[in-house]
Amino acid sequence: MTPDPISSLMPLVYDELRRIAAGYIRRERPGQTLQATALVNEAFVRLASERPRPFANRQHFVAIAALSMRQILVQRARARKAAKRGGAPDRVTLDEGLVSAEPPGVDVLALDEALTRLAALDPEQARIVELRYFGGLTVEETAEVIGVSPATVKRQWAMARAWLKRAVDTAPDHGADASL
Amino acid sequence: MTREQWERLKVLFSGALEQPAERRHEWLTLQAQGDEALVREAGALLDAHDTAAGFLEEPAVVDPADLAAVDELHTGTRIGSYEIEHEIGRGGMGVVYLARDLRLGRRVALKALPQLHDSNEALRERLRREARAAANIAHPTVATVYALEEVDGRLFIASEYIEGHSLRSEIESGRLEPRRAIAFAIDIVSGLCAAHDVRVVHRDLKPENVLITSSGSVKVVDFGIAHIDTINTRLTREGDVIGTPAYMAPEQLIGGTVDARVDIYAVGVILTEMLTGQHPLAPDRPSMPVSASEIAWRCIQTDPNARYQSARELLAALEGELANSNALPEPVPRARWWWEFHQAAVSSVYAAMVWPTWLARNVIGGQVGNAVFVTVLAAAIVAVTLRLHLWFTSRFYLAELGWARARATGWMLVSDAILASGLVVAGVLVGDARPALAVIEIAVAVGAATAFAVVEPATTRAAFGQTDRL
Repeated sequence: MTPDPISSLMPLVYDELRRIAAGYIRRERPGQTLQATALVNEAFVRLASERPRPFANRQHFVAIAALSMRQILVQRARARKAAKRGGAPDRVTLDEGLVSAEPPGVDVLALDEALTRLAALDPEQARIVELRYFGGLTVEETAEVIGVSPATVKRQWAMARAWLKRAVDTAPDHGADASL
Repeated sequence: MTREQWERLKVLFSGALEQPAERRHEWLTLQAQGDEALVREAGALLDAHDTAAGFLEEPAVVDPADLAAVDELHTGTRIGSYEIEHEIGRGGMGVVYLARDLRLGRRVALKALPQLHDSNEALRERLRREARAAANIAHPTVATVYALEEVDGRLFIASEYIEGHSLRSEIESGRLEPRRAIAFAIDIVSGLCAAHDVRVVHRDLKPENVLITSSGSVKVVDFGIAHIDTINTRLTREGDVIGTPAYMAPEQLIGGTVDARVDIYAVGVILTEMLTGQHPLAPDRPSMPVSASEIAWRCIQTDPNARYQSARELLAALEGELANSNALPEPVPRARWWWEFHQAAVSSVYAAMVWPTWLARNVIGGQVGNAVFVTVLAAAIVAVTLRLHLWFTSRFYLAELGWARARATGWMLVSDAILASGLVVAGVLVGDARPALAVIEIAVAVGAATAFAVVEPATTRAAFGQTDRL
């Protein structure tokens, strides 16, 4: 009956992220966005002060946090899409308004779907993307979590990014949505 | 693409990236050794790489409003055949809504389980299994699980909607009367027996998960599935002191193997809280009945083998305790303490008056002196004996006190009146010869009359809520 640690810790992280967000809404100006890195760090600091500490170590925590972020973003994107169903073509631009010179935003649903396909081909690459993009980890941190060299992470990351870019751009389902 | 092809593609892609851009295609063709498809694939990837500048380079960003809105369902939302009315509770990720089952027209508690990623099939399957197991528990003190619904890939558990308040609010509004607390514990543990029989462990038993219906019966909610929230609710916001680890057995806290005995542990904590308002390990915990304290103590042993080994064993102990507690005195409320003090004080004064009256008899002398003394002595003996009898009954046979009072009241009225009269007569007769003695006799007579007329009804009313005299 001992639960699988990742499954049972997910709700914890998920909830902490949500609490942090609620805190931001209370304190900060509306429309402000939070970067994954900041969120994950804040959640870690808060959870690390818990006794007993629910996580084996930071790596353990970050892996779960990255997965949680991915799920949250996908869920919200789905909810938006459902709300707009039948309306204008849906596009979830996450980066919009953050830095105006930034390239156009990422279609989270297309990315999620592509990432799931990539995971079937190469679980390690998919994990690297999850940690780097949804968890906000640097190459070095990612290397530490996965237990490979930073050079390997860099190589894998470059390929995963290219593969995903192509997958997102050519995905038939997202032809309209993904033409950013 | 096969595993082997993918591995070759990885090598080609990484190798080509290290070549100058204009030489990449040539290098690829050379390395691929005639595998045209592979060259095309690698070429396409390289092109994508070149146009991917900025893609995924910055970590994801999220609008806090989006993050906070995750999981919210609004009034009127349809979930399968259920229509959401409003949120009634939130335990970490699982949000509970009051909903209407449109097929059967009844109200249900609809628990929305965490939105799971498609890839998290293992957890999804576990939730399904646990909901199914929980649906097998049939017991009047367990909230019935009606259905497990999957709507748009999301899991919902529909269960009996219970109108009432939680045991938590009951504890917060003051300690429970021992027999009531033990009766609640018996209801909870009976439910545990039924659950453990079908191999469902609650794992997050706490006063919040025990509801008291408007008719006063107990319903344990969230069997088996509650632990999904366990870790969540354990986390407290800054400043919060109480969290669920208080109810978690040590083996559960350290992530060890968990079995039905973690529920036994939680019952020990809950029982102590009902009786004292405090956690069993709290340093300044008020005392509780010894035998109940022994039961609770055995429940919360660190070593699961030292606890009651089954809910049934614990149930037997609690039932024994309930039977005993019917014979035990209740803790003395403050008002009754004053009533007892009053009875004891009056008895002492009456007994003490025998001595001055003996002195008065010697002064008065003759038949009259003897008659006065014997009258006062007899009245004092009767009055004191009756009061001590009531005092003793209130301490040890509380249930019989009403009957004892009804019987004693008339006699006390008579004996008090005779005593007071005897003292007045003694005071008057002794008056000229021994003024000090006379004053004492008469003063006590007046005092006794006042106490009987004013003080006794007041303490009696405070202690028993009645105005009749003792």
